[in-house]
Amino acid sequence: MGGLNAALLIGVSGLGAAQGALDATSNNIANVNTPGYTREEAQLAENGQSESGGQITGGGVMLEGLKSIRDELLNMQIQRQTSMQSAADTESASLQQAQSYFTLTGTDIGSALSSLSSSLAELSGNSTSSSAQQGVLAAGQNLATAFNTTASGLTSVQTAANQQIPNTVSQINALSAQIAQLNGQLAQMPAGQDGGTVQDQLDQAVQKLAGLTNISVTQTNNGETITTGSGTPLVEGDQSYNLQTSTGTGGQLEVLDSNGNNVTASITGGTLGGALNIANTVIPGLMTQLNTLASQFATAFNAAQAGGTDSNGNAGAAFFTGTANLSTAAADMSAGLTSASQIAISSSGASGGNGNVANLSAALTTALPSGASAAGGYASIVFNVGTAASNASTQSTAIGDNLTQLTTQQGAVSAVNIDEETANLMRYQTAYEAASRIVSTVQVLNNATLNMGSGSSF
Amino acid sequence: MRIDPNMVPEMLANLQQSQVQLNTALQEVATGLSVNQPSDNPTSAAAMVENTIATRDLDIYTQNVSTSLATVQTASSVLSSVVTSLTSAVSAGTEGANGTNNSNDLAALASEVQGILTSVVTAANTSMSGTYVFGGTGTTTPYTADASSSTGYTYNGNSDTNSVVIGDNTSVQINLPGSQIFSSSSNNVLGALSSLVTALKGGNSADIQTATASVSSALNYVGQQQVFYGNAETQLNSQETFLGQDKVTLSMQANSLVGVNESTAATDLSQAETDNSAALAAVAKVMPNTLLNYLAPPA
Repeated sequence: MGGLNAALLIGVSGLGAAQGALDATSNNIANVNTPGYTREEAQLAENGQSESGGQITGGGVMLEGLKSIRDELLNMQIQRQTSMQSAADTESASLQQAQSYFTLTGTDIGSALSSLSSSLAELSGNSTSSSAQQGVLAAGQNLATAFNTTASGLTSVQTAANQQIPNTVSQINALSAQIAQLNGQLAQMPAGQDGGTVQDQLDQAVQKLAGLTNISVTQTNNGETITTGSGTPLVEGDQSYNLQTSTGTGGQLEVLDSNGNNVTASITGGTLGGALNIANTVIPGLMTQLNTLASQFATAFNAAQAGGTDSNGNAGAAFFTGTANLSTAAADMSAGLTSASQIAISSSGASGGNGNVANLSAALTTALPSGASAAGGYASIVFNVGTAASNASTQSTAIGDNLTQLTTQQGAVSAVNIDEETANLMRYQTAYEAASRIVSTVQVLNNATLNMGSGSSF
Repeated sequence: MRIDPNMVPEMLANLQQSQVQLNTALQEVATGLSVNQPSDNPTSAAAMVENTIATRDLDIYTQNVSTSLATVQTASSVLSSVVTSLTSAVSAGTEGANGTNNSNDLAALASEVQGILTSVVTAANTSMSGTYVFGGTGTTTPYTADASSSTGYTYNGNSDTNSVVIGDNTSVQINLPGSQIFSSSSNNVLGALSSLVTALKGGNSADIQTATASVSSALNYVGQQQVFYGNAETQLNSQETFLGQDKVTLSMQANSLVGVNESTAATDLSQAETDNSAALAAVAKVMPNTLLNYLAPPA
């Protein structure tokens, strides 16, 4: 087809293309700060050419549609790193809190051990002084309190993590349901059509899910299949599967899949993985060390006390009590003595003697059954909690750097650049103006053609 | 290649990073410590547990050494005076035994030795800040007059000794019981003096000689007991020197574990401040700029 009509149609196709491109540009500009938004590009293609009377004429332009520019591989890497970072952040926050109980504040176990040790040395030099005796009693009571405070501090960190677990599981279930629904919407779209907004929402939801637990995503015909841990399905097509929590035999929280199988061990990432690690591994580990220390130290100190005679002439009564049950030794430890006169200062039974003070002091410096002295045992707990806290925060920082890079890469692919959109705005404005000029030119030419036969021209 | 147009997250991450550095530098300068919580340096934090205990104990040990030293030195000087007294008693006995004394002379000598006996008992009852130096671990006056006793005095203390902790697992015995020094069964100082008084009063030269010989042997014995206090004093003095050195070692260790070099910390702080301002200035300059700023508004 030749002639003015062809020019008109080509002009109109240009108008349509420019308009589509302007739509994409304006949508991009409008969503410049929308989280999860992926920039769109108008997909333009040449229309088929036509031949008329040996003349080949171009067919104008065709708007194939608007396409969101995304990189799914990059998204998956970001999801994986997000899971790891979120676990490290959760652990780091809990451990920051836990380590505050192991900082030299004057009320921590280290300070209390130090007070007990120095008060005993003082008593040795001044065994008849009632203030020196009171000093030892008070230092012992403070040590028991310090053990109690530290144990309850660790328990509160564990409790917080335990509360986080069911909350996180219900968030995971809500997100799984949302993703399944979006999968359903995607499946209903005609094949080959760009997912656009739905895909953006889906990516956003999967990203959030990755922050909650470790996931693996597979693209299938029915949309995305998402599993956690070692293959526990969360979403398959438009179907979602709920996780649940239950209390295990040891009192620890467990995560079960929709069939009731225990999948706790395979959940290592995200807030859920971090909270599980804190509640079921890290804090119980520290607690065991603390309880062992409390129990072994109390036993050693009580033995030294039992070897001497107190100021009333009686054999030394147990200085520390409540440590019989190893699993609650630190929490239940208390000073068994009520009066400073019950401290077994003398070794011979004669009043005024201080022979047993050296034995009491030695209970602090001699190796306990664990292999280290009380101070050494406590120091190793400090080291463990410090290392765990430092590792978690270092890991979080390292993954954070990596994540920033990945996000930058993702931004390079998918983010809206205002400069680019502004330039496009002008480009498509010019194209639109030019195309409309074609239409008006053809109109003028048509009028001129129609007027060719009228009298006034001749 | 397309680059990430969205600079905000990266700029915020940089700002946060520089804020963290600023806070750390500030905290180091403010506290003078490079380790404020275990995670700052787990190894140092763990080592500081024992360092803190050792440092605090050290002060008490030093205190114990100086009080023990006072006790031991007092006891030692008291024993020196006892030795002097006993030497006078031996001279008096020797003089009494030479056979040239009349009864008045002997009575005078007997009263001199009686005076020496009283002064030795006073010495044996020496107390320091409420504690009897030669009473064992007892709290009653060690020697009181007792007419029924052969020596005229009875020992009320006990035979225990006290040891004072002056270092980790190190104690020093700081006393000998009076029963060992003044009234032991083999060398009874008070008994020998009493016998000499009795012998002088009796006037028998041979008895006086025997009694003088036992005072003389008691004199040697007390001299031997003095050695114990001399040894204790030596041990305490060397411990004092050691504790002084140990204190320096511990404080150097603490400083290297958790201390900050002040000039480094101050430099770090000013560097962190500069970095932070630079990061803020860069953000302020870059953020508002887009192509739109340079385009004329549509007519």
